[in-house]
Amino acid sequence: MEKMIVVKDFMKKYGNYTAVDGISFDVEQGSIFAFLGPNGAGKSTTINTLCTILEKTSGTLLIDGKDVTSSRDEVRNVIGVVFQESTLDNKMTVEENLKMHGHFYGIPRSKIEERIDFVLKIVDLLEWKKSMVSSLSGGMKRRVEIARSLLHFPKVLFLDEPTTGLDPNTRANIWDYIVKLQKEKNITIFLTTHYMEEAEISHKVAIMDNGKIIAFDSPNVLKSQYTKDKAYMTSQDAAILEKLLQKYNMSFSKESNNYTIEINQLADFMEIINEHRPLIKTLEIKKGTLNDVFLQITGKDIRG
Amino acid sequence: MRVIAALWFRNVKLFARNRVQLILMFIMPFFYLYLLSSIFKSAYISNPVNYVLAGIVIIVVFQTSLNIATSTIDDIVSGYMKEILVSPVKRVHIAIGQMLSSTTIATFQGILILVVGYFIGMRYASPFTPIAIFGCMIIIGLVFSSFGLYIATCVKNSQTFQVVSIAVTTPITFLCGVYVPLSLLPNGLQHLALLNPMTYATAFFRTLSLEKMSLTADELLAEQLAFKVNHLVITPQMSIIIVLLFGVLFLILSTLAFSKVDFSLMNRTNAHKDIFQQ
Repeated sequence: MEKMIVVKDFMKKYGNYTAVDGISFDVEQGSIFAFLGPNGAGKSTTINTLCTILEKTSGTLLIDGKDVTSSRDEVRNVIGVVFQESTLDNKMTVEENLKMHGHFYGIPRSKIEERIDFVLKIVDLLEWKKSMVSSLSGGMKRRVEIARSLLHFPKVLFLDEPTTGLDPNTRANIWDYIVKLQKEKNITIFLTTHYMEEAEISHKVAIMDNGKIIAFDSPNVLKSQYTKDKAYMTSQDAAILEKLLQKYNMSFSKESNNYTIEINQLADFMEIINEHRPLIKTLEIKKGTLNDVFLQITGKDIRG
Repeated sequence: MRVIAALWFRNVKLFARNRVQLILMFIMPFFYLYLLSSIFKSAYISNPVNYVLAGIVIIVVFQTSLNIATSTIDDIVSGYMKEILVSPVKRVHIAIGQMLSSTTIATFQGILILVVGYFIGMRYASPFTPIAIFGCMIIIGLVFSSFGLYIATCVKNSQTFQVVSIAVTTPITFLCGVYVPLSLLPNGLQHLALLNPMTYATAFFRTLSLEKMSLTADELLAEQLAFKVNHLVITPQMSIIIVLLFGVLFLILSTLAFSKVDFSLMNRTNAHKDIFQQ
């Protein structure tokens, strides 16, 4: 697989404060890459530098083989960006916003109309083409921004917390569009989010904290490496259950009558279930999440 | 060229959509005209209506071009400038596009006032004078647009901008000879007025529109159309060169401001939104 983004020893300082502390990673062409971490971890700094609007302190950053510092305009031509905060022109219509974008990126005049309809169709906003941006809802504005960023057919799409501040339904919709894009258009997608569960759709995840990448792999590998499945159980006879758990060497904690059991060995756990079956009142098994991964690695909750 | 045209068209369109601004633009000239012609009657200047009208036209061109150019601050605060800056658009094209649109609006307003002037009896001897005036309005509009644009890129925050804008425009407007004749100013302020680029813009424009380019230096000095600094007489021709140099300087400065990739300051302005905007 071809590497679309290559970052090597990237460092960014603001005065004495080090926002990004020498990170290296690369992203394969056509994949979804998620950048996770708490606020202030250095995610936006990295995205802004890759998008050529922030100067690096040191290191090498390449997009599609071009250096983001020395070949700035070439890089700008192959990327599409959706920033954390809105960058739409509120006093213009959706169509006018998209047209301006077409002018900026030198899309041939004869093709602009057709392309505007094309990208608006992707985000289901074709019938809003003539509306003022200021009259749209938050979720629709985000979709307009995504449509706009696709207008010049970028090879890489940067999405900096595209779903922050949106309701769960709209959030799910936006991720649907993103996955669709990656599958159908084979665009490389680089996203940041602090909703851990949203990163599950990505092929590779980098977890960042205090300016450093502390984990880098696919969501499944990270989860199996750093988390254990957990069982939540209530029993009619707590004493018997506890004895059983101790027998199989299962670590557990309890809160009044609710037991949280870490499943070390699935086979052992099945045995416990078998032996205890008549007495089990409730049982729920939960897979580890990326949030658990983050907690495990950093010892703190991402929203903290 | 395409980007310049697109930015120009967008800004003019935005201006036309703002009804209040549009109505004010039509009303303001009449207000100035009434106010100033009464003041200048006491200043012993021949032909006060023409003299005053020339002053009003140029001050309106100045204020409008500066105001519209500084509306760039809205684009910076709203985040739209970020969309422009991540695109492969040449930075100097951004600056020129913004400048051309404010110059267009300013010149349009200047023409409005001249039309009003025509109805109250202002006439030119030479048919070339209106053309020269038109050209001159465009040049002065461009010069002060570049100045306004530079202020906008420096401040990047709308609250600070209000203060800076007033602090910059007030001395420029009051110390240029339009509102108050320079001869009526105290000595110290008269010297200060000579540092004001708008003083030279006003002098040149007045000489042009009063059709007095061919007067001798002494006559010009008497009419307050030329200035004496020590032994050097600054003629209207020299005045326009000073104004042009000022414009070129700020065009370069604002292009540089857009080229600076580090817009981290811009992010911070957005972070300081008040509670109701979040």
